[in-house]
Amino acid sequence: MKHLPLAAALLALGAGGAGAHYGMIVPSDNMVSQEDGRSVALALSFSHPFEGRGMVLDRPEAFTVTHEGETVSLLEQLSQTTIMGAPGYEMSYPLDRPGTHVFAMTPAPYWEPEEDVFITHYTKTYVAAYGDDAGWDAELGLRTEIVPLSKPFALWAGNVFQGVVKLDGEPVPHAEVEVEYYDQQGDAQVPSDLMITQTIKADANGVFTYAAPRQGWWGFAALSTAPEPMQREGVDKDHELGAVIWVRFEAWGR
Amino acid sequence: MMRAAIAILAVLIAAPATAHDLRVFAFVEDDMVNVEAAFSSGRLPQTGEIRVVDDQGAEIERHAIDPEGVTRFALPEGHAARGVVIEVDAGNGHSDYWVLTPEDIARGEGGS
Repeated sequence: MKHLPLAAALLALGAGGAGAHYGMIVPSDNMVSQEDGRSVALALSFSHPFEGRGMVLDRPEAFTVTHEGETVSLLEQLSQTTIMGAPGYEMSYPLDRPGTHVFAMTPAPYWEPEEDVFITHYTKTYVAAYGDDAGWDAELGLRTEIVPLSKPFALWAGNVFQGVVKLDGEPVPHAEVEVEYYDQQGDAQVPSDLMITQTIKADANGVFTYAAPRQGWWGFAALSTAPEPMQREGVDKDHELGAVIWVRFEAWGR
Repeated sequence: MMRAAIAILAVLIAAPATAHDLRVFAFVEDDMVNVEAAFSSGRLPQTGEIRVVDDQGAEIERHAIDPEGVTRFALPEGHAARGVVIEVDAGNGHSDYWVLTPEDIARGEGGS
């Protein structure tokens, strides 16, 4: 039985994280009502969400919002900030219209020397404005993408979240999906490091299912290796493509 | 400021969100109020009434719903500083509202 304080101590010694790193887009609210105001704050990072450890997020190659089929770049409106102790980006986005606004980030490929691989996590999250959920199942056409089958907001803790993993527009049979909780309070405990990142597989149609045990933000990352390698100092290296979606589950009300 | 104003206005009306219920969104453009009303199914209410109410809950005026989905009328004078509530009743218990805050109105007054 291993408890988090021990894991944390080991981490401090430089043992390396047990969790996965995730591209992250975390909005201040994903169901914005008219009483909440007229904008949403967005925090972009590259982090270990369970352990609360930030990594450097370089300026993304793309950051967009998609609403009613129209995609607009927000790249110029990002400003640098610090998230989980590391450089990230933030902005406040005015919600001018009702409906689902999908925010998506394409980071620059990240060189991970420990794994001898380049990593690109195509990351997105869905925000419903003013009680209107139209567009909740929007597919953005990213290189790799989790297309939601469950509404990616308005979920109770304990509900399942289902999605289809796609790569180049096609479902990925038996895709591996890593699931991790964003421990914003820093108080989650695990009986084993195996519980920090849970791994599930999609079925033959690329459909995966996960029931979140607790309220809060959960990240789903479906990982594939790009058919084409990337070059580093003249040598071919694998390029890991991640389809990441951030989904919030709500505490059951009384 | 805005939150406080909305909270007071919102208490005046209770509109629960249920299946196939009405969804109302309003904005101001060129001093005209645009009221969009649709059921959650996407269908448009064919009949019904819009009540414009001041920040004390007093009715200012009424308009019939435009069956095309967007009802437009001039912003009533003298209410820009305090905001108005747009109440839409499409009958059979299908009602919803949108609070046009002073900020919402300022954004659309004499704008593009």
